[in-house]
Order: sequence, then structure tokens, then C-alpha cells
Amino acid sequence: MKRIVVTGQGAVSSCGIGAQALWHAARDGISGVKPVTFEDIENQRVSEAAVLSVEDRAKVDDIMGPHRMRDPFATWAILAAREAVGQAGLDTGDFGDRCGVVIGSGFGGGTTLDQNYMSFGKERKMRLDPMAIPKIMNNAAASWVSMEFGATGPVYCPSTACSSGSQAIGLGVQLLRAGAMDRCLVGGSEVSVVAGVFRVWELLRVMTAGKNRPFSKDRNGMTLGEGAAVLVLETLESAQARGAEILCEIAGFGTNSDAGDLLRPNSDRAVACMQLALADAGLGPEDIGYVNAHGTGTVANDITEATALRGVFGDDLSGLEVSSTKPIHGHCLGSAGALELIVALNALREQIAPPTINFNEIDPKIGLEPVPNVSKPISTKAVMSNSLAFGGINATLVVKTFE
Amino acid sequence: MTDAQDDLTQNLLELVAREGMVELSDISPEKRLEDLDIQSADFVMILMALEEEYGVYISVDNDLADVETVQDILTLAKTKIEEHQKENQE
Repeated sequence: MKRIVVTGQGAVSSCGIGAQALWHAARDGISGVKPVTFEDIENQRVSEAAVLSVEDRAKVDDIMGPHRMRDPFATWAILAAREAVGQAGLDTGDFGDRCGVVIGSGFGGGTTLDQNYMSFGKERKMRLDPMAIPKIMNNAAASWVSMEFGATGPVYCPSTACSSGSQAIGLGVQLLRAGAMDRCLVGGSEVSVVAGVFRVWELLRVMTAGKNRPFSKDRNGMTLGEGAAVLVLETLESAQARGAEILCEIAGFGTNSDAGDLLRPNSDRAVACMQLALADAGLGPEDIGYVNAHGTGTVANDITEATALRGVFGDDLSGLEVSSTKPIHGHCLGSAGALELIVALNALREQIAPPTINFNEIDPKIGLEPVPNVSKPISTKAVMSNSLAFGGINATLVVKTFE
Repeated sequence: MTDAQDDLTQNLLELVAREGMVELSDISPEKRLEDLDIQSADFVMILMALEEEYGVYISVDNDLADVETVQDILTLAKTKIEEHQKENQE
């Protein structure tokens, strides 16, 4: 089987512009969560989200300029892709038919959707954005990235809620292994912290009105986030032929579905998913030293995921560090898996497990101490990242030190 | 119990019945929500109505982790309403 390696990484998140800004914030426990106010929401109940700072928004606008055909979710994906491509050292001749793009999104162009519905519904405007359709469509980010570089190979856009980013990376791995291409830009983009979307998240009541505290006894829901992350994946042959620096190897991918409940997770299926990824990587549970958990900070997810982790790694989870970095970069939905894989692969490279910040107290129902508040050194050659999405869609990636 | 509390209890019972789509006559504090066939989609409707009428935000999470009966919901709603009123006075 072909080996698949990572040669570039790029990110735009509430922690700043760049993959290193994200990793450093995750490692050092510095949260990108900020106060958010929407004038269209009367009596807003939840007042924080992990959004870009005003300065970073301005920086993105400055670099990318205004564009009549692009929603921010596409613009941010291009910016993240440029960083990843730059690091990988890909040249014009490295794209073409042998380079594909797989970039997922949960909502697509949320900003454009919100603005147009507001104008249409509130102001009864008939003069809306004529480019709204191509800006909103979920595959716009993937298509814009393909156009940016002339990547004319296969383009896919998984839209599987909070697993979109992880599935995009996994699908890229499978396509590369199958020989459909030699390199692929993979990841996710989500910029949907906008009034209408935020209000319906409030109504679903899975967001906390306080702090996001995954695995903590006093956790009370998640905090939304936004961001984009893109990685350059290549077959080992392709990377070696170019003389590229290899950051790590994507050793395994597993994905399955619960076929049960749209919202409630199922721990048995999460166990099966992690086991699929381990088998795909040819590794055993004892080989994994760190898991970047889905860890949303909701009662349902955290209990299910901790139970599943015990099912895979044994009751005492000995020798394993588990943390959720969502209190730092927020729950970024369609880009969550991609942003978190960047965190996980840097954890592997620096041998540091990033902390679960805002952690107060072990929940007896969970019994897990998730690298509370301060990072920990690890000594491992492989790490795992989980995504457990609404719709009952699970995805697990396993990353290995390249040897 | 004061009259005001009685009124609040009655109003909350009516709210649970209306939003949970069950007959008011079937509801009593000791009844389990499960036995009334009140499910997660009904829950969020009840919580939305509590927000509309009393201005309280209750997440479907730790707040609700131990809620099993109608009385549990009444107690939780009253606690949150009291907290909310105190915050508004401050």
C-alpha cells in the first residue's frame, strides 16, 4: 500500500493567521474565544465564540482584497492553502491533473447566506447579491483552491457536519493510495458564526452560556468557532521525488456511521471507528501516545467519547494522554477535524500534549483527567484525532512520525 | 407556598403541556418525562418557551443531565428564573 505523507500545513483561526499561531495557542493554552454581539439577535443568550480578531480580519482583507465571487469561507481556505503549498514547496508543474483538492464544509458560505436572507426577509429587498449561489455552495472553497493553483485533478467536498474536515483528509488519503492522484490539498473551512446561524445554535441549546469545559464535571455545552485549515498530502514517492521535507505520515483513517440517532452519539460505533483507523495504520492501541478528542464539552459527547476511548485503549487509559483543544479554537464544525489534525501533528512533532483549558474537576461519570490546563510532555511515535458528528458520522485519523 | 409560587407552578405546568404536546390533565409533578413521551425535540421546544416567557437560557446539557420528572423541570426552571431575576435586580 502507498504511504501518504504531509508536506505542508496552513490555517486561519481565532488563534491567528497561520498553522503555527494555532499550534502555539493550543500548546500554550491561550484561547481565541472572544465576546461576540449580533445586533439582529434580541436578548442574545450566548455571548462568546472563537472568532477571528478584528485585526486578523483586517489582515485577511488586506492580503486577499475584496472579491465579488467569494464568501469568506472560500477566501480563508485559499489563504490556508497558500501557506500549506508554500511550506510544501509545490511549484506550478506540481499541480495539474495529478493534484486534487478535497476540502469540506458544514455550512458553505454562511456569511453570504445570512446577509441575503436578512435583506430579503427583513428589508424585502429584491436587489440581493447576484453571486449568492456560487458563493454559498459548499464546494466553493474546494473549487476556489483548485483554481488558485491549477489543481485539475479530482475535487470533492464532504459536507458531514463536524466530521467534514476529518473525512476530507481521510478521503484524500484513500484517493492517493488508490492512485487517483499524486498529491492533494485537503482540509476544511467554516465561517458561519453569523447572526441567523448563531441564533439557531442557541435554540438547539448545546452551546454553553459560560466557558467551554470539556470532560470537566461542570461542563455545560460547547463554544462555536470559525476557521480554515489545509494540508498538503502526497504519496511518499511524490514527496521524495521532489525532495520535500516530510512533516509526518498519515498512517490510518477510519470512518463509519451510527445509523442510529441524528444527534445522540453512540460509543460502540466510536470504538469501531477508532479500531478501523488503528487497523488501517497497522498499529495497536499501545502505539498511540496522544488523542486529540472530539471533546465538545457537552454532556452527551464527552461521556460517550470517554467510554469509547476505554473500549479501545483499556479501562485505565494508561500511557495515553487525551485532551480537547476546543476551548482554545472553538468548535469549528466543518473545519474542526482539519484544524485539530494540525494540532495533533504538531503535538507529535514537538512531543507535547496540548492542554484542555478551563478544566475544573474530574467528572466521576467520566473519570478522565484530560491534560488539565497545562501541556504535558509525551513520548510517542503516533497520535490520533477524533471527529464525532451530528448525523452519526464518525471519523478518526492516525498520524505517525515519518521514519 | 405563596400564591405567586402557585401561579408560577401552574404556568410552568401549562407550558410543559403545551410545548411537550401532552394533555395538561396527564401531567403531574411526579410523572417521568419519558412516560409522558416527551423527547429531545420536545425538550428544546419547552426550553425555547421558557426563554421567551421568562428570559432564561438553559442548555440541553449539565443543566438537564439529572432531569427525569416534571418536578425536576419545574425545579430547574424556577431556580433559573430566580437567578435571572436576581441578575436583573443587580
